[in-house]
Amino acid sequence: MPTTPRNRLGDLERAVMEELWTTADAHPEGRTVREVHDAIGVDRGLAYTTLMTVLDRMAKKDLVNRERDGRAWRYTAASTRAELTSESLHHTLGELAGDKRRTALLHFLDESTPEEIDELKAALAELEARRPDLAG
Amino acid sequence: MLLVASLVVLAVLLAWPVPRALARATALRRAPRAALVLWQSTAVAAVLAALLAAPAAIPAAVGRQVRISEQWPVLAIAAALSGMVAVRLLLSADRVGRNLRAARRRHRDLVDLLGVPGEGADRHMRVLEHTTPTAYCVPGVRRRVVLTQGTLERLQPDELSAVIAHERAHLAARHDLVMEFFTVVHEAMPGFLRCDAALLEVHLLIEVLADRAAVRRAGPVSTGRAIVAMAGGTRPAGSMAMGGGTRVATARIGLLDAQHIAGLPVAVVAAAMYAVSAVLVALPLSLYGLAIAELTVV
Repeated sequence: MPTTPRNRLGDLERAVMEELWTTADAHPEGRTVREVHDAIGVDRGLAYTTLMTVLDRMAKKDLVNRERDGRAWRYTAASTRAELTSESLHHTLGELAGDKRRTALLHFLDESTPEEIDELKAALAELEARRPDLAG
Repeated sequence: MLLVASLVVLAVLLAWPVPRALARATALRRAPRAALVLWQSTAVAAVLAALLAAPAAIPAAVGRQVRISEQWPVLAIAAALSGMVAVRLLLSADRVGRNLRAARRRHRDLVDLLGVPGEGADRHMRVLEHTTPTAYCVPGVRRRVVLTQGTLERLQPDELSAVIAHERAHLAARHDLVMEFFTVVHEAMPGFLRCDAALLEVHLLIEVLADRAAVRRAGPVSTGRAIVAMAGGTRPAGSMAMGGGTRVATARIGLLDAQHIAGLPVAVVAAAMYAVSAVLVALPLSLYGLAIAELTVV
């Protein structure tokens, strides 16, 4: 995959988030830019200010929270990985329900009920019977 | 006066009974592209008729010669009536557009953060670490196709290519813009006129159209199997059907190899639908043109 600046930025955000998630238990008070830089920036040869910018952007996107600690900010992940995964899969119904949800994202299959599975299988069987050439 | 009445009747018909009848005409789903054009021209014609009815009434109200200095109140009333329709549409477009873009931006941030970029050359794909088989796309300039690990594990290769072709068809044909247009018109209408069934039907037509792309890529049987496999995944409570019992997925499987509508080849019916669509849009424009013919402003 070609490495574009946008890809690198995405990788960096992922690495920052990973660091905040894995250290969340040991450091519930959060991590400063300096600490995040020491953990993931030095190896990558990144400037301190680069990580400061990335964390600032992530705070604006509500991916991380921050609190003042003296002259520095302390950053924590806004949600756990499981919470974010769940949000990206079901996009919390209250926030974006019904029509809006259908229009914002186009799902391969939006609405099906467990009771529908039998009907679906019957419809597929009919289709396979109509197209025996393809049903191999 | 007859022309003005016709415009008003046309607007009412296109806003109330026509969408409700079209939503029930499920046979038209077999020609999804033509059906979508018909739906769009219905909406455009309804908006045109609503916008043009008041200005068309000017000759009937003041005669063929309009003296602005004397008859400006009539003109102002006509402008206000049309303006009300226009403002409702613009406000709705603004609100819907901003909501959608904010939701998509948030979603893109999330999948970029959580998802592993897809294998191969497709830089728009993201794979989420989750066992539920799900696939969707985030439309827009920075588009994404999102799959879960569960999708990759559950589907056969040809079924997977059907799913990906389906999502790519949504993105390439900008189906999101079609949905956005209908959502804007839907929300601009007063509550009692809104027809949820119409919005659901348009959404289904978009899915059927994307299924066509999947069938071209992987064949009807593999596409049908992909739909069944994706539906069979365990679904968390709360994400159940919102469509009021419509069997959307079953309907889609039945439409994968549709060849005829009411015994006629699909192409013939589609051609007729395109013709009706053209007439629908031309109707309010011609009625308005006739109404204000020979009108002079002094």
